[in-house]
Amino acid sequence: MASKPMFRFLLRRFIFLLVTYIVATTVVFILPRAIPGNPLAQMLSSLSQVAQANPEAIRAAERTLMKEFGVDKPVLVQYGEFLLKALRGDLGTSISYYPRKVIDLIVPVIPWTLILLLPATLVAWILGNTLGALAAYRRNTWIDKGVLTSSLVVSQIPYYWLGMIFIFLFGVRLGWLPVQGAYSQGTIPSLSWGFFVDALKHYVMPFASIVISTMGGWAIGMRVMVVYELGSDYALFSEYLGMRDKRIFKYAFRNSLLPQITGLALNLGTVLGGALITEIVFNYPGTGFLLFKALTTLDYPMIQGIFVILIASVYLANFIVDFLYAWIDPRIRLGQEE
Amino acid sequence: MFSTMIRPLFKNKKFIIGISIFLLFLLLGILGPTFYKVDPTEMTWDYEQPPSVEHPLGTDTYGRDILAQLLHGIRSSLYIGFLAATISLVLGTIVGSLSAVKRGIVDDTLMAMTNIVLTTPSILIAILIASYLRIRSMEAVAVILGLFQWPWFARAIRAQLMSVTSREYVYLSIMAGYSDLRLVIEDLLPTIATYAFMSFVLFINGGIMGEAGLSLIGLGPTRGISLGLMLQWAVLMEAVRRGLWWWFIPPGVAIVAITASLMVVSTTMDEVFNPRLREE
Repeated sequence: MASKPMFRFLLRRFIFLLVTYIVATTVVFILPRAIPGNPLAQMLSSLSQVAQANPEAIRAAERTLMKEFGVDKPVLVQYGEFLLKALRGDLGTSISYYPRKVIDLIVPVIPWTLILLLPATLVAWILGNTLGALAAYRRNTWIDKGVLTSSLVVSQIPYYWLGMIFIFLFGVRLGWLPVQGAYSQGTIPSLSWGFFVDALKHYVMPFASIVISTMGGWAIGMRVMVVYELGSDYALFSEYLGMRDKRIFKYAFRNSLLPQITGLALNLGTVLGGALITEIVFNYPGTGFLLFKALTTLDYPMIQGIFVILIASVYLANFIVDFLYAWIDPRIRLGQEE
Repeated sequence: MFSTMIRPLFKNKKFIIGISIFLLFLLLGILGPTFYKVDPTEMTWDYEQPPSVEHPLGTDTYGRDILAQLLHGIRSSLYIGFLAATISLVLGTIVGSLSAVKRGIVDDTLMAMTNIVLTTPSILIAILIASYLRIRSMEAVAVILGLFQWPWFARAIRAQLMSVTSREYVYLSIMAGYSDLRLVIEDLLPTIATYAFMSFVLFINGGIMGEAGLSLIGLGPTRGISLGLMLQWAVLMEAVRRGLWWWFIPPGVAIVAITASLMVVSTTMDEVFNPRLREE
């Protein structure tokens, strides 16, 4: 199954993503040092507001900050240390949760983001593509017009705003679902049936707001792709041969899926960004919420740490999509590309 | 030539609806604050009031008029959207056409750069940059957003120009001794004009949405009022969980109306101008 051309394709993608990751972490490194006005100095001065009235904490945080950013050493040494640390998973010490390590604070919140993001993205992708293909198959019927128009509008609704509407309607007005968090306050996450039901109730609204507002985009893209495919030579030829519509449609659908898989990879970052903000609206204890807290307390080691991890996960997800793509596309699997 | 291009558009019902809604909001943004002369920052004792005759869209926690905020917000959000879109369009056109014309090492470097930016989640980088700026003007936010949404456009421009430059009519123009400038203006630009316009529209949406996202995470413009900032204030003051619907619904409706109407304009243009999508 894993043929040589496929392996070569994946290796090329892996090297590209690695280079991209190094470039991105370099940007993360350069930014605080390159932006005019010296944010590092500002950070130190604003620390007194963050670590309230505890002079010892301020001094400790100051030392941490100086050490984390290593500002006393030459820039190249700082850069080398930064990269090595990032690769080792050592992201430094948090300022607002001093003396806890950034990595220890990030790891527990990641599952919450993944539980929300992965199923929502996949469900939206599958539903959207199915709807879009259906619309193209029934082109110019009321199904097509309905799907297209509603997708155009729905795809422009920001996830977090849809979340707000849901909270207001189903949480506040109707009182059907809990209005915030990932589980009821006071309960401790455990593997019991009761906790599962409770978490599920909290899950419905953030999940639905991401699914509904991302679905439309996929539907629009898929519809255009299938319309293109159905108008191409092989589809027309099959039609002249007397092949059944359903069968031609099946071919067109399969050919249209490939660009949608690439689209999935390209959209991961946007979806992630939207999900982070959705978490803030729902007070959902994921990475977005942690990032929001880090931003409001100017906890720069934490902000940097979250970025290094988020960017790495987007690239990792990209690689997984590449793998899928290589596996599905016979041109890559059999080495006919290039 | 221009009228034959434009006329089919105005026979399309969806296009007319889309462009009307967009123009309505554009007018609201441009003229609204001049006609509705209420100061959006003025605090009154009528706080958290539902819509009334005095305050058509109610007031917020500080007694500020929501309608006034909304009109100013539409203006700023459109401004940020247009500015970000212009930056993206210029960057994308430069990178894409340089790549296509120079080829070789220039092309390789530019495309490697493009792919890196394309793979990197732009909103994350925007959040990171914004977090280091203590004072963020509307323009700064637009620049941050505009810097990262050009890559797919650059790739499309490059692909289009590469396919065009190898067509016969371009060879003919070269053989006829046309100057590079005339070649670009007469033969190359028209082929990317509609695509560029459609992309510009999507870039505006990206700018408006991006501003809203940045603002909600607390990194929006530090001065003035935008639609995103209105939403952020509503979230901070728990307007949603306290049922103050007149506060958080209007800015969202404005964002969706502007971006969705632009989307409709862009897709209907695609349907009218793109022969592969045109209905027989």
